[in-house]
Amino acid sequence: MPAPNGEYVIDLHDVEKVYKGDVHALRGVEIKVTGGEIFGLLGPNGAGKSTLVKIMMTIVRPTRISGTVLGRPVGHKPTLRRVGFLPEHHRFPRHLTGRQALEFYATLAKVDRPTRTRRATELLETVGMSEWADKKVSTYSKGMMQRVGLAQALINDPELVLLDEPTDGVDPVGRREIRDILLRLRTEGKTIFLNSHLLSELEMICDRVAILVQGRVVQQGRIEDLTADSQRYEIVIEGAAPSWAAGHPELRIDTGADLRTTLTCRGAEAPSVQPIIDRLRKGKVTIVSVRPVRETLEDLFMRAVIDPKTGRALAPGAARLTRDEATP
Amino acid sequence: MSVFLAMALDAYRELNAKKLFWITLGLSGMVVIAFGSIGFNEQGMSMFYGLWQIDSEFVNSTTPWSRTLYVGIFSDFIVGLWLSWIAIILALISTCTIFPDFLADGAIDLVLSKPLHRVTLFAMKFGMSLMFVVLQVMVFCVGIFLCVGLRIGEWNWMIFAAVPVVTVVYSYIFAVCVLTGVLTRSAITALLLTLMFWSSLFGMQTSQSMLLQYRIRFEIETANAERRIEQLETRLAAIEPDSNDPGNAFARADFQRRLEEARVDRESSIDGGAKLAPWHIPIRVITAVLPKTQPTVGLLSRWLKDSEGFSIAGMMRGDMTGQRTSSLMPDPTDVEVTHRLEKKLDAYSGWYIIGTSLAFEALVLAAACIVFVRRDY
Repeated sequence: MPAPNGEYVIDLHDVEKVYKGDVHALRGVEIKVTGGEIFGLLGPNGAGKSTLVKIMMTIVRPTRISGTVLGRPVGHKPTLRRVGFLPEHHRFPRHLTGRQALEFYATLAKVDRPTRTRRATELLETVGMSEWADKKVSTYSKGMMQRVGLAQALINDPELVLLDEPTDGVDPVGRREIRDILLRLRTEGKTIFLNSHLLSELEMICDRVAILVQGRVVQQGRIEDLTADSQRYEIVIEGAAPSWAAGHPELRIDTGADLRTTLTCRGAEAPSVQPIIDRLRKGKVTIVSVRPVRETLEDLFMRAVIDPKTGRALAPGAARLTRDEATP
Repeated sequence: MSVFLAMALDAYRELNAKKLFWITLGLSGMVVIAFGSIGFNEQGMSMFYGLWQIDSEFVNSTTPWSRTLYVGIFSDFIVGLWLSWIAIILALISTCTIFPDFLADGAIDLVLSKPLHRVTLFAMKFGMSLMFVVLQVMVFCVGIFLCVGLRIGEWNWMIFAAVPVVTVVYSYIFAVCVLTGVLTRSAITALLLTLMFWSSLFGMQTSQSMLLQYRIRFEIETANAERRIEQLETRLAAIEPDSNDPGNAFARADFQRRLEEARVDRESSIDGGAKLAPWHIPIRVITAVLPKTQPTVGLLSRWLKDSEGFSIAGMMRGDMTGQRTSSLMPDPTDVEVTHRLEKKLDAYSGWYIIGTSLAFEALVLAAACIVFVRRDY
């Protein structure tokens, strides 16, 4: 869903970043994020996720870029008033309390005094840090820092929130709370761009994802769409598979150690699996279970990072390529 | 404006959290208390608030020497040593972490992601970093102002000129700390390099001052030798050359010997001056473009001179020339050297001293700012 004015909230093309030493962190990245969605960016370590986010936040200068964030070219400083950002491993000044930190960053984001005072109190309550609000951040645990960091990212009531590993170091209860906050923000119409390694969490809340590998987007879209090809039915039966099953083109047979056999019907829709069930019943085969199975985000991710030539996961980190290789 | 105030408040909180800030302030307070403990009465001077009485005919409340001594202690030992050196070193140790901490991973991201231009951020951060010295010197000056007023009855508001002067001197040095901090992102490296730079600066300024002093001395000695030669030649010419008077012959021989000595002295002085010139000229050129820490502090002496010739800052300046007083150097040549040296140094205007120093500082800060603005974090 594009933004109300017909534009994407994030619409980046041809993003390229080459660091010193000919390290190609990003190679022609293209990302489109629509308004009001939670977008997840996945990738192995050093794939360029943080670099991409930092380019949007003007912390890193791109080698080449075209496109917009909130309808403005990347690097347009005033637009950052409408953006919230939580960097990975963020560090607040140790001499500030949680409340002082929020009010300080709110001032830098040009939030007026009454609003920042009110929002700091509200957000500290939201992230469960009210009791610690007036204690120095130097006394906070990592999870507490993440909570206050999230509050900091929201202090200017942003339209777009970019979060880099927001649940890093947070306990399970805290993670759930953060997930709930993000879902609530989505219902309020905010757009959330999430960098995370926690694929199960992303799967729970993201509307769309992109997988970045060695500076390139290798997959992008709705999780359902990306895993549609992997949809299948698994039929578990007692004993060995019937003889006709071995020659069936749509079936894969896996014999388990517990005298049960799993018949996997790949890419099948529900109607198409019915004749197989009928045939099994007709042959007096005991059916233990029939369930639709879809590839998980982790499966999708692993598939994306496996080198098809070697069958092994691609080495982490950015690519060191020649100029010719770097050209997509 | 509100961003400016937020940065100022943050800088104050940062200082407030630093133990060294309070330690320095405490030490400053002790210096002021010690200074204030010196008093004068009709019998002489008292120390430690009257615990120790030193009777004196010359230094007591009825003679002007009491004021000279009191302000002299302030200028030579307190301002010259404390404010110009120790307080600045403590300030550097306290503030050398400001930029490396500001640029640390995770901290800089939070700031740069806000709708503020990097140049604005840099300028504000630098300006706020000077707050350490401003607060310290301001508190110190209030104490000194009260001491001078209460002890010798002179309520001299110009004492507060030390605040901008010491701050601007500190800013010359701190600019180098900022550049090295931005380049290396290491507080220790920045501090060490800055102290090395400051030491070099002190060495250059001292060398320049000493070389100038020696060149003036050689000029004076050359002029003296020429005067002697002229006098001796005149007197020699007055003696009848063909006289057989043994006295005349003895006098002529004596004059000729003295004339020869004077000529040797003149040659020696000219030679000495010529030998120093190749060293002095490049050092003078180099020091011309470098920040002038000692001359800047020395400006206070010019600004604070009162109508009676009494100068608080004459004793307030921390440079070496402040220690040269004619009373300690009775030799006429030494007196003349000191007089001419001070005249030459005073010939540099405040605009030149501060202007060239600030120009250097601006260049250093511009370089640091360019690195800061262009870097990826």
